[in-house]
Amino acid sequence: MRIGLLTEGGYPYVGGDARLWCDRLVRGLAQHEFDVYALSRSQDQEDEGWVPLPPNVRRVRTASLWTAEDDDVALGRRARRRFTECFGELTAVLCGAPGGSSRLGGSTGSGEVPAAGRAPGSGGASGGVSVSGGTSTPEADRFANALYGLAELARDEDGLAGALRSEAAVCTLERACRAPGAHRAAREARVPDLLAVAGYLERALRPLSLDWYEDNGLGAVDLCHAASGGTAVLPGLLARHFTGVPLLVTEYGVRLRTHYLTAPDAPPAVRSLLAAFHGRLAAEAYARAEIVTAGNTHARRWQERCGADRGKLRTVHPGMDARPFAEVGESPDCADPDTLVWVGRVEPAKDLVSLLHAFAEVRKRQPRTRLRIVGAPAGTEGAAYLGHCRTLAAQLFPDEAEGPHAAGDNPVSFEEIGGPELPAAADAYASGAVTVLSSVVEGFPISLVEAMLCGRATVSTDVGAVTEVIGGTGLVVPPRNPRALAEACVALLRDPERRARLGAAARARALELFTVEQNIEAFHGIYLEIVSRAPIRRVVLDEAGAPLPFAVPAEAHLQVRWADPSPSPRLVARGGPGWATEPPVRATTPVPAPEGAR
Amino acid sequence: MNDLGELDRPGTPTSPGAWDARSAEPLSPASAIPPAPETAAGSEQSANPAAATGGERPENREAATGGERPENRDPAISGERPENREAATDGESPAEWEAVIGRQPSAKPEAVTGREPSAKSETVTGREPSARETGTDRKAAAPRRGAADPVKALIHRHRDLCEHAVDPLEIAAGLEAHGITDRTAARFRHRDVFSLAEEMYARASRDGDTPPPTPPRAPRARADWALLTLLPGALCAAAVWAVRLTDGRTRLFAAAAGALTVALALHAALRRGPLSAADRTTSGRTTTWTAWLIGYSLLGDGLLLSAVAGGPDALPTGTADGPWPVTTAPVLALALACAPAAWITHLFKGRARRRLAASRGLDDFAAAVRPLLLGAFALFLAALAALLVLCAVALDEPAAYAEVLTLGALLFLARLLTTHGFTYAPAVVLTATATVQAAALAAVFTSRLPGCGFLATPVETLVTTLGAGGVPTLACGAAALALLIHATRKLTRASAHAPPEPAR
Repeated sequence: MRIGLLTEGGYPYVGGDARLWCDRLVRGLAQHEFDVYALSRSQDQEDEGWVPLPPNVRRVRTASLWTAEDDDVALGRRARRRFTECFGELTAVLCGAPGGSSRLGGSTGSGEVPAAGRAPGSGGASGGVSVSGGTSTPEADRFANALYGLAELARDEDGLAGALRSEAAVCTLERACRAPGAHRAAREARVPDLLAVAGYLERALRPLSLDWYEDNGLGAVDLCHAASGGTAVLPGLLARHFTGVPLLVTEYGVRLRTHYLTAPDAPPAVRSLLAAFHGRLAAEAYARAEIVTAGNTHARRWQERCGADRGKLRTVHPGMDARPFAEVGESPDCADPDTLVWVGRVEPAKDLVSLLHAFAEVRKRQPRTRLRIVGAPAGTEGAAYLGHCRTLAAQLFPDEAEGPHAAGDNPVSFEEIGGPELPAAADAYASGAVTVLSSVVEGFPISLVEAMLCGRATVSTDVGAVTEVIGGTGLVVPPRNPRALAEACVALLRDPERRARLGAAARARALELFTVEQNIEAFHGIYLEIVSRAPIRRVVLDEAGAPLPFAVPAEAHLQVRWADPSPSPRLVARGGPGWATEPPVRATTPVPAPEGAR
Repeated sequence: MNDLGELDRPGTPTSPGAWDARSAEPLSPASAIPPAPETAAGSEQSANPAAATGGERPENREAATGGERPENRDPAISGERPENREAATDGESPAEWEAVIGRQPSAKPEAVTGREPSAKSETVTGREPSARETGTDRKAAAPRRGAADPVKALIHRHRDLCEHAVDPLEIAAGLEAHGITDRTAARFRHRDVFSLAEEMYARASRDGDTPPPTPPRAPRARADWALLTLLPGALCAAAVWAVRLTDGRTRLFAAAAGALTVALALHAALRRGPLSAADRTTSGRTTTWTAWLIGYSLLGDGLLLSAVAGGPDALPTGTADGPWPVTTAPVLALALACAPAAWITHLFKGRARRRLAASRGLDDFAAAVRPLLLGAFALFLAALAALLVLCAVALDEPAAYAEVLTLGALLFLARLLTTHGFTYAPAVVLTATATVQAAALAAVFTSRLPGCGFLATPVETLVTTLGAGGVPTLACGAAALALLIHATRKLTRASAHAPPEPAR
């Protein structure tokens, strides 16, 4: 099978997002061929180069989202009119202005609509699309039509970058913002806001101008796999539109939420329009994708919120390499029974201060306890925070000397992995009886999974995906609550039997759910499922370029039915073969209708 | 897979409450003895108003009013939850855990009574009725806190987020970034964070008026380009002075060296500062034609005059009174005008950016920028005229005002368009102007061929009526007018003044 892997600021680049996952996926599925289509995010990223690629990566094509490449394509009058129409429609949808059709559920965040009037779960938010059943609203259709209209124009005219940068685009945007029915934030857009939005849209829509969608590009793959949401799904959507290639979207972090968190200072008009764009794009991607995978329940909830059909959603947990932890996890518990361990990157969100206060409480009841904080600071803020924590630890726990000649020793130690004492992360977990996680904010807690793989009992705060990861195999306390943390730690420290029981259960759970093998196996299954459900049919050509008759056996066009959906007796068996009653299947590559096909 | 966890992390609170609030007290020099964490929390929050106004720590807000931290107060809950988590292994009933969760908001009233270290027994007794009874009892137990509406307190705590948000999802994202999960939302009687965020979005006051954006600070004038723009003028003056002082072969060398240094200085002056091109790659297209135009202003009039009269009989000697006279005043004035051109462009850009920030619509902006553009153009013409007068007096040459002013206007407008990213029209117009001038010269010389005498007639007519400066004046004037019209259309567009794209 040939898979087109679409990334944005990701895989082949050293230091890209999720490159480890992509690398393991590509290496793990060596029986498939991969074509990597990568969008780079910055000059630095391109300068850093690529990671070494395995041999089953057949080709890598890259494009940059950050340079203003000059294409002096001057559009003709007719093309200009098409552009204005399509772009105007696109921006009108973003502004919430009604189009020709009736307006349903398109009030993207206007202040006038009271939330009480909305049914729970229906799209009152920026996604604005219906949640149920993959049926699309007129608004979503308008967005999709405008997007594919622009894509077709870009294909006809060899690129749209110049037009998207031109004054015509800004004028169209202004007209959409001032149109009656546009919501308040858009109506208040000032000229700098218009320019910012137009510039952002131009960058976000650059994949439209690429030449990736020909028969020797994305048209030749059997399946497009977008490794993230946002701009990376655009090539997949266009490939599906132009050549009918099925699309799989994997999101380990929801792009829409990232967008909300990364641009908090922009003016309201900019935030509103761009949030609408990201919401619509995500909704369109979820609607067109065959299958959408999420990394955890949290991401999945956001996807459902943005309009993904529940039937398409699969949760594929990130996989971790279990081998480094196998030795520690399988050997009998040899740890110091009085040691607590914290492992992670030191930064304010980890709330080590809370942990230190909890540890003070623990020491009141179990005076022999020690705490090892293992981790390197993240950035300058992390370094400052680490210094702060060291000072706090020195204040809370003065050095205690056992005798007049012994050196004082602090019960809290700050260490880093890689030193002579802790050569690997597994040793850090192995050195403690209980692993503690004290974060106030957390995504997918890597250190918790590592502790589980090591078979350690854990105490963690109830944040992010912690409860989902831990299941029932560890203790969970509310965040920012040192006393609860201390109580849980003391309970575990006093009960070695319970520790052992929880640790064994945790290791079993982690080995079942969070290994690399299960991750790769899950994607392999999803690939096969998609290809069997939405096979792409191509006309086989001979050397001269003419269609080769009978190159594809007729059986290939048979729809495989695993079970008869209707319980009524089949009468056709007497009259003729079953496939004869089916409508004829087109032999050429089907170009799906731009809307309403699904 | 170590990177995937980071992808889904909801983000970091901008100012970590747990960092600066609770731990500030033990670290302050006043407290030599580290106090117990609870007392530290209670005492320092009154002493540290900054922490209470930080707004992102839920505890701080409540502590300011109630003098109590809700989570510390209730050790029974916190102590109980871990065991309930493990209900499957320890055999406790999950139903009780649900009760614990549901009880948590109702536990708030106890804050009023204050807390002892033995609060465990107290909260356990206080919890039983509140867990099972109705909300009226709860309200009665909380006369001061107004805990019947916990969402209101939450809105108050996240006031900035709520007032700032453009849709409920933004509030949801912000709440999650502060550690609020669906289980927290259950305390507020909501199914998930999304419905909580919708309620907050609907209830938050958004008083319409967004504050007018602060005008962007105009880019400061910098010493490097300010000095560099003076360089061509200074070097040109030096070259003219050297040419006047020297003689014969030395004068030739002086002239060549002067031309070279002035060209280099001009190149340097146009590389940075307000006159630098928006796009470096296409800036070399007009160099040849600009050089031709300047060269024509130096030598062209003399050549044309002597050609019409049947010459030229000798090469230029570098003086104004030879057989092929050289007019140095225009070139010197143009070189000196680099500095005013840069300053005027700088002013124009700064003001246009300010107008951009202040205008509501594209039409407003165009209407505001048009007088600005014309004013800048007029200012440059005035400066050039003044410089020309000075040069003419200093060099004791007759000043051809019309010719120099039109040429200066043409070059200034071409540069202004180039710096704003419009390179096509200036290149076309400059090429056309230079071609017209060259054609005029060529016509005069070609008319000497037998049978081609008619070719020179228009040029000769022009020279006899308007003088030798008529040809460049007409060519440059027409070109400058065309560029001016073009500039009033292009430079009044907002997209021409867009701030440069940030490299991500």
